[in-house]
Amino acid sequence: MELLFNIYVFPGTLFVLVWTVFVFWFFRKFMAYLHKRIGPHYNGPAGSLQTLYDLSKLLSKESITPHNVNPYLFSAIPILAPTIAILTVVLIPWTPELTIVDTSYGVLALVVLIGIEPFLLFLTGFGSNNKYSFLGGIRILTQMISMETSFFLSALSPALLFGTMNLIEITEANTWLTTLILLPGAILFFISILGVLEQPPFNIPDAEQEIVYGFYTEYSGTNYFLLKLAEFGEFLVVFAATITLFFGGYRGLFFDSFLCLFVKMLIMAMLMLAIRASTPRIRLNQMLAFAWSYLVPLSFLNMVWIVIARLYIVGGG
Amino acid sequence: MEKLKELIGTFDVAYVENYKKVWIKAKLNKASDLLGVAQALKDEGLKSLVTVSPTDFPEENKFEMNYFFEDLLTRRNAWIKVDIPRELDRCEIDSLTPMFPGANWHEREAYSVFGVKFTGHPELEYFLISQDYYGKFPFRKGFDWKAHEANLIENMNTIFESFENEHVENEKRIGHAGSRTMLNWGPTHPASGPIRLKVEVDGEDIISVKPDIGYVWRALEHLVEEKDFIGALVALERICFMDNTNSMLCYAQAVEEIAGKEITPFAAMMRVVLGEIGRIVSHLMGMGGFFNNMGLMTLFMWALDVREYFLDVLEDYSGARIATASIEPGGVRYPLDVNLLDTLEKAIQKYEDTRTEFYTIFLKNPTMKMRAAKTGIITAEEVESFALCGIVARASGVKTDIRLDEPYAAYDKIDMDYMTAENGSAMNRFEVLFKEMDQSMSILKQAIADLRRGIESGEYDPQKDHMVKIPKKLPAGEAISRVEWSRGELMIHLVTQDTIPPEDQSAKRQPYHDGRAPA
Amino acid sequence: MLKILDFFDYAKSESPWMVHFCSGCCSLEMAAAMGPRYDWERYGYIPTPTPRQADVLIITGLVSKKILPALLRTFAQMPEPSYVLAIGACAYDGGPYNDSVAVIKNATEILPADAFVAGCPPKPEAIITGLEMIKEKIRKGEPSAASQGGLWKQMKF
Repeated sequence: MELLFNIYVFPGTLFVLVWTVFVFWFFRKFMAYLHKRIGPHYNGPAGSLQTLYDLSKLLSKESITPHNVNPYLFSAIPILAPTIAILTVVLIPWTPELTIVDTSYGVLALVVLIGIEPFLLFLTGFGSNNKYSFLGGIRILTQMISMETSFFLSALSPALLFGTMNLIEITEANTWLTTLILLPGAILFFISILGVLEQPPFNIPDAEQEIVYGFYTEYSGTNYFLLKLAEFGEFLVVFAATITLFFGGYRGLFFDSFLCLFVKMLIMAMLMLAIRASTPRIRLNQMLAFAWSYLVPLSFLNMVWIVIARLYIVGGG
Repeated sequence: MEKLKELIGTFDVAYVENYKKVWIKAKLNKASDLLGVAQALKDEGLKSLVTVSPTDFPEENKFEMNYFFEDLLTRRNAWIKVDIPRELDRCEIDSLTPMFPGANWHEREAYSVFGVKFTGHPELEYFLISQDYYGKFPFRKGFDWKAHEANLIENMNTIFESFENEHVENEKRIGHAGSRTMLNWGPTHPASGPIRLKVEVDGEDIISVKPDIGYVWRALEHLVEEKDFIGALVALERICFMDNTNSMLCYAQAVEEIAGKEITPFAAMMRVVLGEIGRIVSHLMGMGGFFNNMGLMTLFMWALDVREYFLDVLEDYSGARIATASIEPGGVRYPLDVNLLDTLEKAIQKYEDTRTEFYTIFLKNPTMKMRAAKTGIITAEEVESFALCGIVARASGVKTDIRLDEPYAAYDKIDMDYMTAENGSAMNRFEVLFKEMDQSMSILKQAIADLRRGIESGEYDPQKDHMVKIPKKLPAGEAISRVEWSRGELMIHLVTQDTIPPEDQSAKRQPYHDGRAPA
Repeated sequence: MLKILDFFDYAKSESPWMVHFCSGCCSLEMAAAMGPRYDWERYGYIPTPTPRQADVLIITGLVSKKILPALLRTFAQMPEPSYVLAIGACAYDGGPYNDSVAVIKNATEILPADAFVAGCPPKPEAIITGLEMIKEKIRKGEPSAASQGGLWKQMKF
């Protein structure tokens, strides 16, 4: 019974669906606010039903499979992508009691499952038989290789500091002091996930003004819905992972609960949107230069700092 | 000026005369002299060939070619005319493109619509017109376009086929081996607008860009011939909707010159006000579009917010937000309600409230600088040889601004200066846009003060002064008129004849290149 | 079961996404409708970058001969059911360019529109009203006009 609840309700399917609907709405509303607009307004209280309608509509529209593509590849990826993205929720400690898979390799599994996602999106571009999609796919691959180095390195810094890869232990060991020590790592991690999630200023793979919509170009209807689900599922796990690794997960100032985690995740989303609303996209070569000449060396430096901190400040030995 | 006159006088000319303050107008007797004259003018410093415009005179069986040369530094202009025969196989003239690269598109356009052959042109292909007009030269008087329109589907299929052929040719030329391919940027692209850039890329590197225009080609010149001079206004203001007031202003000036009428000082000042509002409205879109193309919508939205307040002023004045038809030959169309000035001040206040945010968040934006500071650099020499104008020229440090070079309306009463930047990159163009916004606000404030003073002292009568009557029937004549448009310089060459009003006008529009290189 | 299907039909009518296509001057007012003062996102309209995800194609006024192939292709690339909104006088009969040689005078005969908005250009409020008319049509489940006929089916674009 509990397993069924976990699979279908929380933190499984229903939770991810509700999260997608909510966060899609939240993004649009917050973005509209930054644009001095109102955003969705008339459907439901404060327009909150708007994204539900949008996503339901996508489900009932025609899904076009373009001429001359491999139909299996073209349709399989939109199923795989959200599955992999949502699979990651089993690793996150959502509440003090609820972690579905409690493993001592939590950090590794998390990093690998998040890191595999851009590759699936590359396959969408590869399988679309469209020049723009293909360019988008290649761009994802380039970006993935450059960004994930620093992503892996900075994700390992809490593991190194606390000497464990178990996510619950990491959450429990978190204090104000360790948060401060981990702050440089957290910033590097945040920048890298902007790259991994293709968010501005690193939204190079789906640059609308350059290559139409990148790897999304040929997808419509249900397939597009599934890819959107993958995107928002990815947001969910990446935000949760950041909070769990660096900012103490579900732990709050006065009480520990899922609510604290959720609020922290929303703050992260707002930060991401503020960057989106104020930073133009950079070019691919600039992204490469930035990743390899600043981000990766800094992540190595961060590792050194963590080791020093572990030896002399936290004093674990 | 006198030296220029003498210089042209050494050739075989029918006449050489001064025209307005900054122009020399001359007519050559022999078309073969053209190259010599052009070379002499170029040596003298008139390095820009602004436009090439043929006029069709079927009764006299000739084309009159008009060449407009300009020296951007000393502000001297020469207008050279020469006749060539009208028959299709005989209307030939030497091409000036090898000497003035800026003439390229103008000559191709003249070839496409009139069939004038330019000998020595490096790539004399059809251009601008849609494919079903290829080889039919629609602007020649006597072209029966009703017969042409009759079989629409056939014509459309010609167009479809030509696109298809182009695609097949590209595939053949580039092939599938390697990473080279051809991308179309536009006309249905999220950021393109009605232009198509044929971009040849090798992976992420752009090898060549070839623009293809004409996706909003409306044959305005032909349209104006069909109508009287008030009806033509409707077409003229729609040259570009972003800044429609200045294009009407330009046309109205040309008509007034032919009719020989002066407008009242009040109407002139109103034209300054309306012209600047048009400029602001367009610049706000331009600023937004610049960031929009780098994937940031925020400035676009904020600019639209401010823009609405200026559109309110236009709406209060004319009843329409965009298609105002507010400037007419003879003055401005409507009398002024003094309360309008308050609305205008409110709009200026709105801009000034937002200005700091624009400045700190967007003009100082480090990512924007990273992206645009070294992109699309145009040097001052290129500005001269391609006859660029407006913001593009000023961003490269060339001091050119028709409002100061050849003051029209009431700009001679306004205190203003050239707004320039140094390096001519995309970022500098954005900077100049921003500076010009501030300048326009200052112009507006001066104009408001002047209007208020004039109305109080009784010098202006806002209810009566706005219009001077222009006779319905224009005398035969010819005029050119230039204004500083928000996207460069607009020049209209208007020819009227004695019969009903068949006019032939040829508008030059130098587009405002942004030089934002994608990828 | 019927209730669920009804919900999906309603959802379809409440979220028309527009393909980002500008053929003429009226697209300026479309931009204004996107902007802070009129903000059509309140009603759930958003522009999409590719026709594959769009429900509504807006013919923004003038359709020149050269852009017609692009317009038809864009429409053909949209997934069913797809609707067409024609705004501006030009889209109806050529408007101010009715006697021009280079403009398609009967754009909506070629690609029939589901709703018209008059004006040159129409105000942003009017454009939003036009979109509401499209919504109404989707809600009633009527097929789009373009799928019923039009010269576009005879053209080999």
